[in-house]
Amino acid sequence: MNSFSIRRLAMLLRRDFSAGYKSVFIAMAAVGGFVIMVSVVSAFGRGLGPIHEKMYYLLLFIGGYIVTSLTFKELHLNGQSVFYLTLPGSSLEKYLSKLLVTSAGYAFGSLFFYTAVSSAAEGINRLIFGYGHSFFNPFERVMLNWVAVYLVTQAVFLAGSVYFRKLAFIKTNLFLWLFGIVVVILVAVTAWLIFRDYAAGTRINLEPYFQRLGESGEMQAVLQPMAEKFGQVAKVLFWGVTAPVCWLIGYLRLRETEV
Amino acid sequence: MTDLGTETGIEITNLSFGYTKERLFSDLDLTLRGGNIYGLLGKNGAGKTSLLKLICGLRFPDAGSCSVLGWEPRHRPAALLEDIYFLPEEFYTPPISADLYRQIYAPFYPRFDAEAFREYLGEFDLPSGKRLSELSYGQKKKFLLAFGLSTRCRLVLLDEPTNGLDIPSKSQFRKLLARAGEEDRIILISTHQVRDMENLIDPIIILDEGKIIFQQPMYQVTRCLQVEVQMDQPSGDGVLYSEKTLGGYVVVRKNESGEETQLDLETLFNTVIANRDRIQELFVQEHMKVQEDMKVADDRNSASGDSTGGLA
Repeated sequence: MNSFSIRRLAMLLRRDFSAGYKSVFIAMAAVGGFVIMVSVVSAFGRGLGPIHEKMYYLLLFIGGYIVTSLTFKELHLNGQSVFYLTLPGSSLEKYLSKLLVTSAGYAFGSLFFYTAVSSAAEGINRLIFGYGHSFFNPFERVMLNWVAVYLVTQAVFLAGSVYFRKLAFIKTNLFLWLFGIVVVILVAVTAWLIFRDYAAGTRINLEPYFQRLGESGEMQAVLQPMAEKFGQVAKVLFWGVTAPVCWLIGYLRLRETEV
Repeated sequence: MTDLGTETGIEITNLSFGYTKERLFSDLDLTLRGGNIYGLLGKNGAGKTSLLKLICGLRFPDAGSCSVLGWEPRHRPAALLEDIYFLPEEFYTPPISADLYRQIYAPFYPRFDAEAFREYLGEFDLPSGKRLSELSYGQKKKFLLAFGLSTRCRLVLLDEPTNGLDIPSKSQFRKLLARAGEEDRIILISTHQVRDMENLIDPIIILDEGKIIFQQPMYQVTRCLQVEVQMDQPSGDGVLYSEKTLGGYVVVRKNESGEETQLDLETLFNTVIANRDRIQELFVQEHMKVQEDMKVADDRNSASGDSTGGLA
């Protein structure tokens, strides 16, 4: 079955761009103005800390999650959903077009945009005050690391955008909170079951346990490698599993959407 | 299901579907072939829109099979969507100009005819530079109709297409659609506005209580049913349907004389709904009679062919 064509994907991307470019420009103007204003006000007050990294962090994560949560809005609106779902393109192409725009498209677009805006803001600061904040460097390791984290975590919001009919951003956040609470409860119950002998009331005091492990040499031989293994598994789960699983959930949900 | 996209029609077999536990359709069968403008009629809530949605993959059947142009629509394959144009009753037009709409959306349809599109827009008297969001409901609908017919899709599904159109637009719509019929194209129109569709839709499909209770071409209808207006209240077994009007009683009977009369769609619909079993029986009998006549004619032909052969 002909379920993927670069030509159709390009047409879908063009369509998405033409439908949203005005909103994008308005948002860019608003964010740009805000960044310049904050930068100038901060320089005026001699607050010369690294504000651009913090502001880019907010733009990337909060802005990116909101944009991602809104990306499948047309799927849940009367009339628009019929229009979108009957548009000639497979579910895979439709999903990929939204994924590309909101993941790599948003991350690198915002990086480029923020570099330009912050440079302009710092130029203004230096013109007015003769000094300014340090320039924003998009190639810093920490920035690229944030982008990588964003690319993984936005997959959750993309799945939420397909899944939730209304208030996808808030509902995805609520889901993440609930998921976090469930994980914490599971960990707590497991810890309780394993270490209940060390419990005193509702508290678990593991000091005697670690002392015993240290004395017997088990800490070095067993527990540390186990903790390292656990860390490796967590890394694999985060970097390698989270995004593909969310992409799959979102794609399947899109494929099964009825109007 | 083949999913090869080589077939030309719609085949629905034993289809069951419902929004709740109560079935909207149960064991529904329907076959549609290219080269026809089908009219889908039914009471409110009969499931006309749901049937259109099932055909274009916006709803999935609970059981049974649905094959559209050789594809299973529930998978919404791109190759099928390139060949389907669905204009729903509640439609959406993006806030862009007609020209930009064509530039963005026409490439999705490989057989899009830009020349025909320009022509249709002209016939509907639609401005091409204005934003679609600034057009009236009727103008938007005409724009989408013009676009849909220009896509040259093999399957065009229209849900209440004349709702919201002014009087001149309705006749333009009829002319346009009559011209748009192609040999391999199926146009399926779901409507309540039967007067707008008079002399356009043929065959007629009537959907009632989850089933197709009637699917006949108009020539068959006029062959089987006869309509007349009489002053006295009709009575007797031969009356299939009667309705009091200003000029007297409109009476529908079985066509015994063979004389063809013009039965309007509204009367036909009311006759079928009021008398579904007798109507079905009547059309089955007519079908069998036609089959027998054809068989006799075939036998006669082959016999004359044999004798000719013998002579030769």
